[in-house]
Amino acid sequence: MPKGREKSGRFRKVFVKTPGGDTKVHLRERKPSKAVCGTCKKPLLGVPRERPAILGKMPKTARRPERPYGGVLCSACTRKLLQQKARGESQ
Amino acid sequence: MSIYHVGKVCVKLAGRDAGKKCVVVEAVDERFVVVDGATRRKKVNVRHLEPLAQTLDIKEKASSAEVKAAFSKLGVAVKESKPRKTAERPKKQKKKAAKPVKEAKKKAPKAEKKSTAEEPAKKEAPVEKEPVKVEAAAQ
Repeated sequence: MPKGREKSGRFRKVFVKTPGGDTKVHLRERKPSKAVCGTCKKPLLGVPRERPAILGKMPKTARRPERPYGGVLCSACTRKLLQQKARGESQ
Repeated sequence: MSIYHVGKVCVKLAGRDAGKKCVVVEAVDERFVVVDGATRRKKVNVRHLEPLAQTLDIKEKASSAEVKAAFSKLGVAVKESKPRKTAERPKKQKKKAAKPVKEAKKKAPKAEKKSTAEEPAKKEAPVEKEPVKVEAAAQ
C-alpha cells in the first residue's frame, strides 16, 4: 500500500534494477523548474537546475553568472537595462 | 574618428565588469579598444561599451595611476588592484617529513629479499629428499 505522500505526485518514478534482477520503482524528488529571466521569461544560462540543498553546497560562482543581475536577468536584458541607465545618466 | 577615442568615458555592458565606468586608453582598431578605470584594464569590443557624454584629459596608453587620478576628478571611485604575492611553497617541509618513512620502507624490503633468497635454497633440499622417500616406500 503506497503511502499518502507517495501518491501526491511530488516524487518522480525511477526504475532501478536490483542485484537480484528485479526492477523496483524508486521515488525521487523532482527537480525545480528552470530559472527564467525576470523580464523576458527566457531560461537563464549558467544557473543550475538543482534543489536548494544542493545549491547551498555549490560555490557561489557556480550558482549564477558573475555579472550584475546575474541569475535574475538574462544577458540581453541586463545589457539593455545598463544601456538605458547610462543614457539617462549622460543626459 | 570614431566615438571611442582616447579619453572617452564609457560604461561596460557585458561581463563581470558590467555597469562599471571606464575610459578608453587606446584605440586598437575599429572594433577593439583598451579600457581602464573602475573596470579591469582590458581590450574590449566596442559593442560591449556604452559611451557617456564625459571625456577625460588623458594621454594615449596612460598608466592606471594616471587614469585613477583623472577619474578622481570626476568623483568616480576606482579600485586599486594590489599585485598578488606568491605564497611560499611548503614543499621542502613535506619532503623532510616523508624521508624517514621512505628509509624505513627501504630497509624492510631488503630484509625480505634476503629471506626470499634463503627460502628457495631451503625448498630445494626437501624436493631432493622426497623422491628418496618414495623409493624407500617402493622397496
